[in-house]
Amino acid sequence: MEIAVVGTQSFTLGFQLAGVTRILNPPNEEEMQQDLRQLLNDKEVGIVVIDAADLLKMPDRLRIQLSDSISPTFLGIGTEQDNTLREQIKSAIGVDLWK
Amino acid sequence: MALDIKPTRSELINLKRRIKQTQNGYNLLKLKRDGLFYEFRILLSEMIEAKQALVNTFIEAKQAINLASSIEGGLAVKSAAIAIAQSPEVEVSRHNIMGVVVPKVEGRYLSQTLEERGLGLIGGSPYLDEAADSYGTLIESIVKAAEMESTLKRLLVEIEATKRRVNALEFKVIPEMQEAQSFIQLRLEEMEREETFRLKRFKNK
Repeated sequence: MEIAVVGTQSFTLGFQLAGVTRILNPPNEEEMQQDLRQLLNDKEVGIVVIDAADLLKMPDRLRIQLSDSISPTFLGIGTEQDNTLREQIKSAIGVDLWK
Repeated sequence: MALDIKPTRSELINLKRRIKQTQNGYNLLKLKRDGLFYEFRILLSEMIEAKQALVNTFIEAKQAINLASSIEGGLAVKSAAIAIAQSPEVEVSRHNIMGVVVPKVEGRYLSQTLEERGLGLIGGSPYLDEAADSYGTLIESIVKAAEMESTLKRLLVEIEATKRRVNALEFKVIPEMQEAQSFIQLRLEEMEREETFRLKRFKNK
């Protein structure tokens, strides 16, 4: 299975340098949503890396779909920590254990 | 609440057996919930560390690529990126934690050596190598974090479902069955009293 990276060129360039070939540079938010929806059903992709800032811009429904997906796993990375999993834990267990 | 049950002795025996079975199931589910929660807590502390490490590695990698771009030029970095020969791959297998099937992600060619990268000594530069190495390390952290994140998500779903089942058994199913049991017992006692009274009246005549 492949690793896919979605984001701006400055975000994906480093991954390309590390050998990742499945690079997607959508020019706007609509196309990014479309690309992410396609990746959700792609059986060849194991992990999708996305800029955490871009992930926050996505509609709530899509964000929930992405965070619920296991294969592929969508991982938001950025200079700030992504709090989606923390929120999921809070709603499922009722206590904030992320401390 | 209207009880739609036949107040017979056989129904009472059946109900007692079902209550016992349900209580056994309830105890087992409680053990499963606690076990899952224990696994979850262990993984969560590892995940918190992994996420923090991921942020730090990303910052370092970003600095390395920015340095390479500013020294070598954006075009040189892009052409080097296109020339990379080997691409990282992930293998997803499955393993079991207390009945929950969780993915196990293993990576291949995540961080590459100078030869594997295929740029050659003349084509590359120390800054490009440094950036590629940093991103290789970042991809290793990503694979680790992705495995943990999907495991945690699956465990969370299972914990939530088990918690609901335990609560339903504890607060709805078992109390209703116990209520039905006491209703049958009362009804049978009453029927017995009626029968004794009828016999007494019959004897007096």
